[in-house]
Amino acid sequence: MNLTRRSFTGLALSVAAGCAGALLSGCEGATGGGTLRAGVRSDVTGFGYLNERTGNYYGLEIDLVVELAERLGRTSVEFVTVTPDDRKEMLLGGEIDLICACYSIADSRLENFDFSPAYYEDEVVAVVQNSSMIESLDDMRGLTFGTMSGANAAPLLSVKLYEEGFSDGEVRSANEDNSDVRFDTWHLLQFPSYQELSDALETGEVDAMVLDGAIARTYMDDKRSVLDGFVVAEQSYGIATQKDSELSAPVAEAVQAMLDDGTVAALQDKWD
Amino acid sequence: MKMSRGLRAKIAAIVAAALASVVVMGALLFGMQGELTRASYDSEMEAEAEQLQALLADAEEENAQNKETFDAVYQSKAQSVSFMAANEAGFEATDAKMREYQELLGVDNVLVVREDGTVVAKAADTRADFGSSRFNYLRESLVTGEPSRAVEVELPDEDWLTRYYAARIDDETMVVIEQSPAELRELVESTGSVASVLSGVRIGQDGYVFALSAQTYVIEYHPDEALVGADALDAGIDVTGLEDGHVGWMTLDGERIYARVCLIGDTYYVEAVPAADMNATGDVTVGVILFAFAVVVASVALYGIFVLRDDERRGSQGEDGRDDAERVGGLSLNRRIAPRAAVLCVVGFAAVVVVSLYMQTLFALSSQSLVLGESVDQAASTIERSQDRAAELEEQYNERYLSKAEVAAYILDQNPDLATREKLQELADVLEVQYLFTFDLSGDMTATNSSFTNFSLSEDPEDQSYEFRKLLQGVDHVVQPAGPDEVSGELRQYIGVTTHDEAGMVNGFVQLGIRPTRLGDLLESVQIESVLDGIHVGANGFAFAVSKADGTFAYYPNENMLGRSAVDCGMTEAQLKDGYSDYVTINGESLYAASAETSDYYVFAVTPDGALMGERGPLTAATGGVALACLGVIFCLIAIEPAPGPAAKVAAAGGDAERGAEEGSQRMVSVTVGGRSMKTVAAASRWFRRSFNWNELSPEQKLARVLRWFMTVAVIVVCVAVVFKDQIFDRGSIFAYILGGGWERGLNIFAVTASIMVACVVATASEVLQKLLQLVSRVVEARGVTMCRLAASVVKYVTIVGMLYWCLAMLGVDTATLLASAGLLTLAISLGAKDLVTDIIAGLFIIFEGEFRVGDIIQVGGSKGTVMEIGVRTTKINDGAGNILVMRNSSISNVVNMTKETSFASVEVGIEYGESLERVENILAKELPNIKRRLPAIIDGPFYKGVTMLADNSVNIKIVAECSERDRSGLTNDLNREMKLLFDKYDISIPFPQVVVNKPVTFKKATAAERVAADKFNAEQKEAIKNLTDEDEDFDEFNDSERR
Repeated sequence: MNLTRRSFTGLALSVAAGCAGALLSGCEGATGGGTLRAGVRSDVTGFGYLNERTGNYYGLEIDLVVELAERLGRTSVEFVTVTPDDRKEMLLGGEIDLICACYSIADSRLENFDFSPAYYEDEVVAVVQNSSMIESLDDMRGLTFGTMSGANAAPLLSVKLYEEGFSDGEVRSANEDNSDVRFDTWHLLQFPSYQELSDALETGEVDAMVLDGAIARTYMDDKRSVLDGFVVAEQSYGIATQKDSELSAPVAEAVQAMLDDGTVAALQDKWD
Repeated sequence: MKMSRGLRAKIAAIVAAALASVVVMGALLFGMQGELTRASYDSEMEAEAEQLQALLADAEEENAQNKETFDAVYQSKAQSVSFMAANEAGFEATDAKMREYQELLGVDNVLVVREDGTVVAKAADTRADFGSSRFNYLRESLVTGEPSRAVEVELPDEDWLTRYYAARIDDETMVVIEQSPAELRELVESTGSVASVLSGVRIGQDGYVFALSAQTYVIEYHPDEALVGADALDAGIDVTGLEDGHVGWMTLDGERIYARVCLIGDTYYVEAVPAADMNATGDVTVGVILFAFAVVVASVALYGIFVLRDDERRGSQGEDGRDDAERVGGLSLNRRIAPRAAVLCVVGFAAVVVVSLYMQTLFALSSQSLVLGESVDQAASTIERSQDRAAELEEQYNERYLSKAEVAAYILDQNPDLATREKLQELADVLEVQYLFTFDLSGDMTATNSSFTNFSLSEDPEDQSYEFRKLLQGVDHVVQPAGPDEVSGELRQYIGVTTHDEAGMVNGFVQLGIRPTRLGDLLESVQIESVLDGIHVGANGFAFAVSKADGTFAYYPNENMLGRSAVDCGMTEAQLKDGYSDYVTINGESLYAASAETSDYYVFAVTPDGALMGERGPLTAATGGVALACLGVIFCLIAIEPAPGPAAKVAAAGGDAERGAEEGSQRMVSVTVGGRSMKTVAAASRWFRRSFNWNELSPEQKLARVLRWFMTVAVIVVCVAVVFKDQIFDRGSIFAYILGGGWERGLNIFAVTASIMVACVVATASEVLQKLLQLVSRVVEARGVTMCRLAASVVKYVTIVGMLYWCLAMLGVDTATLLASAGLLTLAISLGAKDLVTDIIAGLFIIFEGEFRVGDIIQVGGSKGTVMEIGVRTTKINDGAGNILVMRNSSISNVVNMTKETSFASVEVGIEYGESLERVENILAKELPNIKRRLPAIIDGPFYKGVTMLADNSVNIKIVAECSERDRSGLTNDLNREMKLLFDKYDISIPFPQVVVNKPVTFKKATAAERVAADKFNAEQKEAIKNLTDEDEDFDEFNDSERR
């Protein structure tokens, strides 16, 4: 490696800083000073939105984390963009201290993580193009639903469709990564990102996209609408921390306190 | 100098009161001005906010309408293909046919698609999967038989932006048209987008509206494009301020703005006025008023202090003081001060009120002028633009209609049998036109869906239909501009396209009759009415237009005014021009106006006088009230004092005061004018700018001095502000406006202000120049001094004349007339000014010929003295006794310039006839060197010049000594003295008239040696003064008298 003096110094410094950071996070308590590393969304308007021009995050979850850090006595907050694909690994790997990224509280997730009390109640909905003239679930018979892989919309959807009697719930065929699954009366396509999901709805590749109501707001326009009377699931967003970590209890308490004293309600009001 | 404790306390109280007054006034003015400015902006922003909602709704509606029109055009195209399929007009589901249609219809793609989405025929490849539910709208047409709704797919990442339209061919198949809505987007962007709406909104002079998303806080629109897309919170907006109806201060991108937030939908619209904009006017106005007030207060206070100190020094508060005081209760009114202080207070109060009114009028009018000027320019450019836009729209619609006509001609070419009433009606519906007519080669109508029958093209070139004969003579198409129909009078447009037989030969033409309502609407929206109707200046302002052609009102908010002559309504011809900016009177109402010119109209933006001046009243009243109160307090402090206690109070100061008075009287001269004794400055001091001792001045003079300082400060400040206006004030500021001269010449406030400003600049420059010349004159020799003084005089007069001329021109006096009158004036006064001219020319000659210079000693006429100054008109000569002789240059003639290298002082002494001349000469020989030693003024000599006269009673001898001219008179006296002492010493008698009682005196005889020595002395002296001519004998006033 051909390092210039400067880049070497930089490297050395960053290594040193890394060590120091590791040391700090190793010894400080949950409520001590230091930086709180929060995994947040960068693409959900009103919850976690990264203005790329300025590099700042805005939204309900951002304000919530800032308030939380203050209550935990942290001096600063470092926001890290997480996606549904990598958020689990990042938290488990300790790259972030917590996830506050439209992360719904689900039993499967409770096995791996601790969740704070829910700070937002949301619904999973289906969005269709007006030009498809799909007005109810029945119109979707034989058509394609799209979801985002990594979100829990797909399992919730299949359960819901089964419960509604729309489908027998049995998979007829599926490809290896489950991105293309056929059921008896419907077809499921999964996409790596919400943008690609939205694009698929635009071209007609999927006839309805199923996603969290909070996220759907970002992709709505006057040519689309939410499928009336069809709620796939209700879900609650909570802040996830590592299972049984030092942070779990203080975070839960702080969020509960915020719920009790109206802070959360005020924030919801502000970002609604 | 010491002050008594009582006086010191009193002075402290006066100073404190004065300072407090200024502070109170400052706080009041800034507070009130800010309040008034804010209030006026508040009301304007509120009105604007209400309008904004309507504007946005209008834009929205406009967008929807544009979209509908756009869709209708392409739906009609799809339907026309469907019509062809249904009517055996050569329809085939082949790619080649599709390409033909694509060209005929001018669309991006034409396809034939089955219900399940399979493409049967296509003009070009498509990206759409028509099988998906996404295109269900298109399939609707199969059921209804009507053209389908549009489906739009927009994927910017894949560069896919297309609208799809379908029309039924049969139960299973439909024709699909693909068209990019880029044209529609453009139209929306330019007429109905938020940016296009907001960019037209202006608040005050530089206020604007910007929009930001209520969710992401991203700025969606801002006049400064660099800010579009920026995060508003990052740019400094406080999130707590973002609430509907919030009014207050914000910071955006480092700029303080006064803003009103308005939440419409998911967007915050923020009406913003830059703080600099709000304050600039107010600050300068308040600053000037405050300065004027401070000057007045300081003058009154200082005058009081000066008088009190002066009184104390003189001790006049002793016995006289008691008589001066008028007692009321425990207080007494100092009658010596009270009247003058009262006059000062009243004059000062008036000055403050006048300045306050003046400044507010000035700034109200000038900011209004700027606002009006900008909005009227905007209106003019909008009118120009909309006329272009109208032409563009017409062209666009013509193209569209022509395309319809071509489709009709194509269909009729394919299937001539369709030329029946029923089929034409069907086709007209498909094409969305009102009438279709077919004509044969002879110009006779063969078929139509209208109620007209048996119509033939007119042979008369004046007739509407005549133009269509061109089609029979080889022209492909004729598009007549829309106009009122000859028969019905409704707005109609006719388009004709030739039809062909199977062999491709022209066999007639098809004509479309269209009622262009949408075009009409669009054209109307760009008419002058709609443009001017949208202009609101401030709260009550409006715009109107006067037609250039006939001078009538082309648009006025009051409809009764339309078509009336502007001049009849009170305007004058001179006001109908570009860039007018002043009051106009319309129907007796005085309106402040600004104008601009378009190709057809003079556009005026006006605002009523009352609204404009609304804030002047309260502010002036408040200023006056506070000024009156403050001056009253100070006056009481000065003039009213506790009844004097024991008289001994100020005794101690007496001695000092008298000495001071003595010192002071050196250059101060007491004069009596109109029975009042006053002190004035010695003329010499005035002329030659000697500095005074401050303490020598009387209180009035001190006050005058202080006022002069204030004046100087004000003048310099104005001068600096004017010279550095670009650095200090923004472009387009009020200063720039006043100095730019965009206002009307005439007796108005701008002309007066500009005159004052220019006067300040010129005065400063000329004063600086004069001071420089004065400095230069101190270091250069006499000729230079003369030149400097002359130059200073020239600067002074040129400045005054030039300034006067310029200011008169500003005030609207015609410069040509002024020049002519100057010529006449010259003629008229040339007789009277003859002497003046002579003086000036004489002065020039004196200077350039160097007859004498400043510092020379000259004799002119009967006066002699040192030249103090050679002016343009007069020359001042100091006669040595301190008297200054002011001579007109023209009367200076026969000058004797006595400034030479050396002069001679001479004395003549008579000795008695009995004295031995030789003895006297011997004594002189011995003593003359001693005299020289005693009198240092002697350069050479003294010399014995011999016997000048054997007079009646004496023998006169003459002694001369060389000296400088300056010393001559003194030396003459000294020589006389020396001679007397010498003669006394040697008993040489000087004869004087006396009665001699016969007492013979024996005169001493000279010895032989003495005789020889005398002869030798005489010879020597003659030799010594050989080169001394006798000139001095002609001109020696001291001897003249004796010689007579």
